[in-house]
Amino acid sequence: MKRNDTLTGQPMTGMSAASREAIASSGGSKASNESSGASGGLATRRDFIQGVGVTLTVGATGVIGACSMPSGDSDDPGAPASGPAANDAVTPNAWVSIGADDTITIQFGATEMGQGSMTSVPLVLAEEMDADWDNVRVETVSRHDPTYGNPMAFGYYGFPIMYTAGSAALRGYFNAMRQAGAQARRFLLDAAATQLGVPVEELSTQPSRVVHAASGQTLSYGQIAAAAEVPGSLPEVPESEYKPRSEYRYLGTDVPRIDVPAKVDGSAEYGIDVQIPGMVYASVLRAPVEGEEPMQVDDSAARAIPGVTDVVTLPYGVAVVGETVEGTIWGKNALQVTWSENSRFRDTDQARDLDEYEARARDLDFSTGNPLWQDVGDIDPAFRSADRVIEAVFRSEPAYHAQMEPLSATASVSADGLSAEVWVSTQTQSLTAMAAADLLETDVDRITVHAMYIGGGYGRRAEYRQKDVEDALLLSRELGRPVKVIWSREDDVRDGIFRPLAAQYLRAALDADGQVTALHQRVATPSVLSFMNEPRWGLSRNRDGISMNGAQTTRYSIPNIRAEHVMVDRCSRLAAWRGVATSYTRFANESLIDEIAHTVGSDPLQFRLDLTRDDPAAQSVLEEVAQMADWSQPREGTSLGVALSDYGGASVSAGIAEVSVNQETGVITVHRYWMAIDAGFIVSPRNTEAQMEGNIVYGISSALKERISVNAGSVDQSNFHDYPVMRINEMPEIQTRALPSDSPPSGVGELGLATTGPAIANAVFAATGVRLRELPMTPERVLAALQEASA
Amino acid sequence: MATFTLNGDNVTVEAEPNAPLLWVVREHLGLTGTKFGCGAGQCGACTVHVDGASTYACLTPVSAVEGRQVTTIEGLSEDGTHPLQQAWIDEEVPQCGYCQPGQIMRAADLLANNPQPNREEIVTHMSTNICRCGTYTRIVRAIERAAEEAGNEA
Repeated sequence: MKRNDTLTGQPMTGMSAASREAIASSGGSKASNESSGASGGLATRRDFIQGVGVTLTVGATGVIGACSMPSGDSDDPGAPASGPAANDAVTPNAWVSIGADDTITIQFGATEMGQGSMTSVPLVLAEEMDADWDNVRVETVSRHDPTYGNPMAFGYYGFPIMYTAGSAALRGYFNAMRQAGAQARRFLLDAAATQLGVPVEELSTQPSRVVHAASGQTLSYGQIAAAAEVPGSLPEVPESEYKPRSEYRYLGTDVPRIDVPAKVDGSAEYGIDVQIPGMVYASVLRAPVEGEEPMQVDDSAARAIPGVTDVVTLPYGVAVVGETVEGTIWGKNALQVTWSENSRFRDTDQARDLDEYEARARDLDFSTGNPLWQDVGDIDPAFRSADRVIEAVFRSEPAYHAQMEPLSATASVSADGLSAEVWVSTQTQSLTAMAAADLLETDVDRITVHAMYIGGGYGRRAEYRQKDVEDALLLSRELGRPVKVIWSREDDVRDGIFRPLAAQYLRAALDADGQVTALHQRVATPSVLSFMNEPRWGLSRNRDGISMNGAQTTRYSIPNIRAEHVMVDRCSRLAAWRGVATSYTRFANESLIDEIAHTVGSDPLQFRLDLTRDDPAAQSVLEEVAQMADWSQPREGTSLGVALSDYGGASVSAGIAEVSVNQETGVITVHRYWMAIDAGFIVSPRNTEAQMEGNIVYGISSALKERISVNAGSVDQSNFHDYPVMRINEMPEIQTRALPSDSPPSGVGELGLATTGPAIANAVFAATGVRLRELPMTPERVLAALQEASA
Repeated sequence: MATFTLNGDNVTVEAEPNAPLLWVVREHLGLTGTKFGCGAGQCGACTVHVDGASTYACLTPVSAVEGRQVTTIEGLSEDGTHPLQQAWIDEEVPQCGYCQPGQIMRAADLLANNPQPNREEIVTHMSTNICRCGTYTRIVRAIERAAEEAGNEA
């Protein structure tokens, strides 16, 4: 199979050797600037910019140098006479450094992919430290270092890793940031007490300043740092001494996101934007079927293309290397490769595979021996004595992340092959570094990972072996120079890692009063974790927290619950996806709850309110969203559906969809969507609202039209024409609300996405009396369901 | 070799005539604000202006801009203060931000030709550009804000 990408046309021949040399010797600078006085502008503006990972100074558009500037102004009348500054900067703990120039530098252990953590996480430290946010500089950590690991990503490896996923950045780092900030403030107060010769109890702080109210003396944090004794390790500050929420200056207000200005003037540097001196480009023709390899390569046409310098055969594909991106793409399209044809994935047939999954899900005697995912009470007696049993099968096809930045990585491997620098948009510095160390058979400390801005993550960049990084490392080692690999969109889709194919069998036992006495959810789907992160899977005791995420029922008062992972063979490459697995697990669960409500003649909202009687947070979001949507108000031509979804155990959301169904075309239109959430204390209200909107858009888009199909080992889709995602002209009106809460922040990045599918399906039932049980709910499926119902 | 005007400067680039403007601008000239999304004119991430009109840089061979005026996000304003860029900041539109240069360039083309678009005109014009983070509500608000503020100044 030959894969021609729609990136470019065919190259023109005849480019002279001299001009190719000029390109090679001039590195990234290939323009001559003819306008007088403008040299040094265009052609050189970005030449040899070395991405160093994302570093930002709040309140400024540029990036300033390291903290070695002279100590700051001394025109403060309250400042004591002191000798020359001893320190350029002081570092009370691993997280924060205080410059004599009053710059405060905070280390950021997560990565920024649009969720806003690069602002909200350091902001917690700044708040607790009473730092002036305008003088804060945020540095993204560019290596694997457990010191900066997310405490919630602890346990799989024996140490916390830097891993930005599962809506856990703010949630996981919240207490660590408070402690680091409190410690820094305590250190500054103690040092100021010494410097001013007053008891520490008489001191207080204002942003980046210690104040001695009795004497009117003040010291800026920079002044204190300049003269302070560099501390050893500092004692923990007890939580009782943390700043009370009533005194927060920043948290809970709309502090502007620090990454936004660079994202509107084009200067934000993503992984794909990195340019390194001496680097070459690479495009990789990858095996059309997973697991196969190049047997014969005819690269004569590829090598003849201007700009192409090398063709390298890799275990899984053939790389064309050259001085221009377009040359490598043309070269890739000109390759003639014969592939092995021995992969077991050649047997895949998605419709048949899904039927097989369904048969296994339905067969109650079939078990793959995994520990039960959830086991509450005992469902067997409840089903034996049930007055009624309601059962249904739900099916869902694979989904693609469709992140806007295709995979790309740049690597520079040392001459001995044992050290490497990697520039990449990654959700995890730790796993990127650990996998690179594995690949190069070296120590993880010898890998630098410049974590760039991410053009969309959603789980696409959280796996252990990141293929773009692997490409770049292998090629750089082979060629002895930095290599930047860029995947085409077609590569990104066809070699995508997907939300898995799944079939679920659910049944509920009802007693004579219509009360749900048992709920049983059997999820037939492959193990995602064993594919995306083998080391973690090895430590997971056969519990797959990715595949089964959300299959547990936690908000409803049902006395007997069982959820089982029916582990089946995978038919595609796999990944966590936005909302992890809740888009299919909650779709099934919330659709069945709706079916039960209608069966017992109860209003679906009231039914859920009854079931959440022991869960005030769940009740609150249901009541709130019902009020926002005016649930009981009759509509003309549209219908409402409701769904509830937990995310991550602590956050909960309720969504209501208002839809209409075109009976002729089968097209579902979502006119309005309302969502209410309880996600604990809201650190950044405006950004939280943005995350809710994003979840609704991503959720509706996938529920209505997104599907990947894998047949004979190949992905059928390739770009946005056959994997359409929601566009701006398809948007419903959206209204969201985050309820006030005193609980710690519990994550909003994926919250509410899972309500969209079932809320829409439940609204379609209200509109048509037809139950849709397969994702996505395409017009063809809607029409088929309508016809089946009327037959 | 191609010669054209880029953000007001004359440039000559050593590139094959069929080299897409996208890669010429990004990788030959280092202006990486113009993004690669699909390579097929389906997502709008690579939107630039050629003689003022929104154009998919990924589908435009550099030979097609010979002697013409090309504007990228870096040249939309001197210092990132185009009314749309300011509105994008005020409405805090970007999330991952990758599609936003293309969105802004597309919106700038709209306002240049239709200074007071209604909502329907906005979403129709902007439907060429995908935002996977789902910032659409804010994109509409930001365009409305920029149009309104321009109207107030007029």
